[in-house]
Amino acid sequence: MALEGRWLHPVAGPDEVRAPEQVRDEEVLLLAVARGDQAAFAALYDRVGSLVHGIVRRVVRDPAQSEEVTQEVMVEVWRSAVRFDPERGSARTWILTMAHRRAIDRVRSEQASRNRTARVADQQYARDFDEVSERVEVSFEHEQVRGALSTLTDLQRQAVELAYYQGYTYREVAELLDTPLGTVKTRMRDGLIRLRDALGVA
Amino acid sequence: MSQRPDLHTLTGAYAVDALPEEERVLFEAHLAVCGACGQEVQELQATAARLGAASVAGAPAGVREQLLVQIDQVRQERPGPGVDAPVEAVAARRVVPRWVANGLGIAAALLVVAVGGLAVVVASLQGQVADLEVLAGDAERTSAELRTVTERLAELEQQAGEPPVLTSSALTDVLAAPDVITVSVTHDDVLGRVVASPTRGEAVFIAENWSPAPSEHTYVLWLITPDGAVPAGLFDPDEQGRATRVMTGDMARATAIGITIEPEGGSPVPSDEPMMTLQLG
Repeated sequence: MALEGRWLHPVAGPDEVRAPEQVRDEEVLLLAVARGDQAAFAALYDRVGSLVHGIVRRVVRDPAQSEEVTQEVMVEVWRSAVRFDPERGSARTWILTMAHRRAIDRVRSEQASRNRTARVADQQYARDFDEVSERVEVSFEHEQVRGALSTLTDLQRQAVELAYYQGYTYREVAELLDTPLGTVKTRMRDGLIRLRDALGVA
Repeated sequence: MSQRPDLHTLTGAYAVDALPEEERVLFEAHLAVCGACGQEVQELQATAARLGAASVAGAPAGVREQLLVQIDQVRQERPGPGVDAPVEAVAARRVVPRWVANGLGIAAALLVVAVGGLAVVVASLQGQVADLEVLAGDAERTSAELRTVTERLAELEQQAGEPPVLTSSALTDVLAAPDVITVSVTHDDVLGRVVASPTRGEAVFIAENWSPAPSEHTYVLWLITPDGAVPAGLFDPDEQGRATRVMTGDMARATAIGITIEPEGGSPVPSDEPMMTLQLG
């Protein structure tokens, strides 16, 4: 098959501009994984592993737990690759959506017993976007996203960041920001819509 | 809690995984029938993934090796219908969403197969109606088509003699109840979940990863009460193995929900022990 040699040579690293062929290669790899191709799985891991681990680290924070979750996510990618439908989004979106969900699940079960609201009230939620984790690299994608986030209103940005990066439910976010539930829901939605437009997400 | 949550505005919260578990399940049930929300969620999930991709961190070196060993022992899910030629699917990817491109062709085709599975058709048409509602503002032509489909839907529901498989308002009502409880049971990957409000006596059943019932058979939900089993509705999983069903009957008297396989059309009493039981309270 003509495609075979291609995924041995990554077209671009995850922190470079995403060329269309890179996006397509990830799809081809994931579709090959769905057919049980272990070499394709290895190649896919080489492309998206650091993205998966990046978001998991960001949400879960604890290094040992993050490693576990990253492994779980990738095994899940292997197991359920057949569910990926290219008509409904890119391979990268599919994988990172799964990674985020798993990371959030871990954080929520971990913290179910604690009073998270109190914890955060003490701790001041608003970490600088740059102060992610020591190992997180500053990338082109990072700069783009930071630029896009700066176009949001404070409330939109806080709502999206608290939910996405820190794993709070919208009910918790409403409490933390002392804002009505309905407003928080709406700000999450219109904040993401604005980001979508700023980032040119198709 | 007196205010009815509007499910359509939950797309953002869903895309960043900010819905509590029960609401996520209910919203996913809504997604299955609301084309407009489905489209928006896809876009917002892609946007959220960009937020995720802004953080890059190399996993510890051993992870790759461990994974390659691990996957060798993990059985993959089997392909479902239509997943056979994925590579071609990439090449032929449509820019226009499938539901717009195929539009009413699907609805027409579904009407033809209506004999086989009315419930499924009703669910699909509800999705079509939601889709068409979005377009209604754009073209008069569309509103005529929308009327046709809506009429067909009403007809089919009447023929089916069953309440609609799912209505957003029923879901919203259960969700908004102050005493909402969720009970889930999983056998292997097969999930059954009941979201119920005892005070309102209402419940929604949600199925994930169910195989189709044997031919000329259907799944039946039963309320297990002190006086015996009372039928509470039929369901047939869709192609993804999912179903959502507003249950009939008085939930307040039920101590459990049971599921059996019965001949098409259901039975007055269960013909066998339940294949799955969800204990309430």
